[in-house]
Amino acid sequence: MLATTALAGVAHAVTVGPVTDDIGVIEIPEGDPIQIGGLMVLSGPDSSLGLDQSRGAEIAFADRDEMLLDHPIQYLPEDGQCSVEGGQTGATRLAANTQIVAVVGPACSSEARGGGPVLWNAGMPMAISSATAPALTAQDRPEGFQGLVRFVYNDLAAAAAAVEYVQSQGFARVATLHDGSLYAEQLVQSFQEQFKAAGGEVVASEAIAPTDTDLRPVLTRIGTGAPQILYAPIFVGASAYLVRQAGEIRSMADVPLLGSDAVLAPAFLDAAGDDAVGYRIIGIDNDPAVLGERYVEFVQKYEDEFGEPPIAGFHANGYDAASAVMAAIEKVAVTEDGTTYIGRKAFRDALMATKDMPGVSGTVSCDPHGDCSAAAFAVFEFTDSDSSSFEVGVNPKKMWP
Amino acid sequence: MAARSAPSPFRDWTRRATWVDWFLLGLRVLVVAVVGYGFVSGMANPRYGQAEWFSFIVFGLSIGSIYALIALGYTMVYGILRMVNFAHGDVFMFGSYSACFALIASDRGGLLDANPALAIAIAVLACVTVSGGIAVLAERIAYRPFRKGRSLAPLISTLGLSFALAYSARGMFGAQNKAFPSIPSIDGIVTIAGFAVPKVQLFVILAAVATMIVLTLIVMKTKIGTAMRAVSEDQDAATLMGINVNRVIVFTFALGGALAGIAGLLYGLVFAQISFMMGFFLGVKGFGAAVLGGIGNIPGAMLGGLALGMVESLGPALFLEGLGIEAPYQLRDAIAYTMLVMVLIFRPSGLLGERLSKRA
Repeated sequence: MLATTALAGVAHAVTVGPVTDDIGVIEIPEGDPIQIGGLMVLSGPDSSLGLDQSRGAEIAFADRDEMLLDHPIQYLPEDGQCSVEGGQTGATRLAANTQIVAVVGPACSSEARGGGPVLWNAGMPMAISSATAPALTAQDRPEGFQGLVRFVYNDLAAAAAAVEYVQSQGFARVATLHDGSLYAEQLVQSFQEQFKAAGGEVVASEAIAPTDTDLRPVLTRIGTGAPQILYAPIFVGASAYLVRQAGEIRSMADVPLLGSDAVLAPAFLDAAGDDAVGYRIIGIDNDPAVLGERYVEFVQKYEDEFGEPPIAGFHANGYDAASAVMAAIEKVAVTEDGTTYIGRKAFRDALMATKDMPGVSGTVSCDPHGDCSAAAFAVFEFTDSDSSSFEVGVNPKKMWP
Repeated sequence: MAARSAPSPFRDWTRRATWVDWFLLGLRVLVVAVVGYGFVSGMANPRYGQAEWFSFIVFGLSIGSIYALIALGYTMVYGILRMVNFAHGDVFMFGSYSACFALIASDRGGLLDANPALAIAIAVLACVTVSGGIAVLAERIAYRPFRKGRSLAPLISTLGLSFALAYSARGMFGAQNKAFPSIPSIDGIVTIAGFAVPKVQLFVILAAVATMIVLTLIVMKTKIGTAMRAVSEDQDAATLMGINVNRVIVFTFALGGALAGIAGLLYGLVFAQISFMMGFFLGVKGFGAAVLGGIGNIPGAMLGGLALGMVESLGPALFLEGLGIEAPYQLRDAIAYTMLVMVLIFRPSGLLGERLSKRA
């Protein structure tokens, strides 16, 4: 078996069999599997986030009977640990396997920052399933991000939805808190820009380190600005500390908190306990009434396969990312004498050109920068601290719109 | 012939100083200038009232007293054996989990509401037993086989044990963070001198102080405490005086482990969330506090822990805001460790000085 790759950033055409490609060609002999990687957080407090979308991808492969172009599909998920370092490590392990065509994921924007350049350097595009930071698909993104194609919403839209919600509640003075991660920092930045543009006032803009456990001093500082609401799109561990400690700060005890769908997971209830009740988050709205019958069938398959309802909010995006990868492979692969050849750049271009694909999360069409999905947003409120009661729409319950 | 006047200390210093001494002097001046400017500038634009400053102090004391309890375990072992037990943070973590499960059991049985003092006592018993036991096992498995050697083997061995303990906890308790039960009788606010203080923090500070008093009594007033001090002074002489050094070392590990267990319980009460990796970060902080106070020095560990907690809590508001740094609490760890480095530059043996055994 021979796989030929070249640096993705350096254009020099490679010819293998009947295929010539600018950055490399994957040759898959008859009977060998088509290998697709996965890179998403699979351990630690945010593991539900990654596991949920990885399950979505597995269902997409299962829907094809694990076969593509007469080759079996081999799915190889790696843990990105929701961090730059984890993304880099996981991507390096995947990149070492030169037979991998593409990678589904990542879940966290930090993983994309660390892992995206490593994979694209090896000619492997990523079909993003829940990394939402605007920088990943920005018009002026660096070369290392050119392999990223996003099958989830962009946080510019999430920030707009948060602004709309905050204004709808009549709040004019907000405080923000992020944890320094690419996701949280950019989402907060977008929110602040849009909120100020809409006439609101940001009275405190604070940050913590991802490993911080004592948020009381920073909450005391935020309280001096007398905000009407605190917008804190941070991950499970920090959000649980936030809800458990905010009540101890007199100036913050009555200030509503608004998180994001990064904590749309039962793990948040395990971490936050009773203080989770009443906590509101804004994020992706997978309402079957909006997404339709196909989503209902998909969720049924999910429950049949994994014995529980979806454990986070991005299972449908995982499915769509994997489906788009398979569709793009079919589009560019050339089979000769049972051997399949896939040009890496041609594949990336085909993935980026995904258009009108009927996905579980809606119709998927990519723009020139690799943003392929839109989403509806909703505000949810946790109603019970028992993690076994987690079910999006019930606990947490949809509150807005 | 006129008597020659003695050279001034400064002139003598300048005569002997190397470029390294001048560099360190410059660094000290720079640090003092930056901190001073930040402090003055911050005070000139007051953002906080008395209530906020009081809250910062309470937050600093509560986390600082937890650091102090962890630091005591490091410092006692180092004082006797000149060895850093890197598994100590994970001993702390197991204490937290055992206290958590004990409180959950008490809650389910209704004891937490009916008799909270007994529920807390059971939790203390659980965390002291589990952490003390694991610390003794750590000594037996990861340290004693290497005690005779003069290599880095014990250090590496405790590092390995640290990961083994952390991932054992992950296997047993799961990778997710776990909510620590709250105790209703210490929920709420109490007013002290007109300032509102969360009861749980007051409880934690008082419990930590009480624990440190008990430790001091054990070390200063009991026979085994006297033996500990003798071994930490000179192992050979202690052996000649008939002290069973092995027994003292095991007791020291057990005592350090018990303190870490109590720290685990108090940490859970304050922060209400625990995880299998918490031992690493808190262990580093505890070790930093021990070094800050003067490794091997028991009062030094207490002072180092409290100082580290106070700097973490007050530092960003006191210094960083005055320097115009946005979101200063993101740099809380940075300011704490910078302070640690600076103290060691100014005073390499820590705030109260090192006290080490003559022979490990």
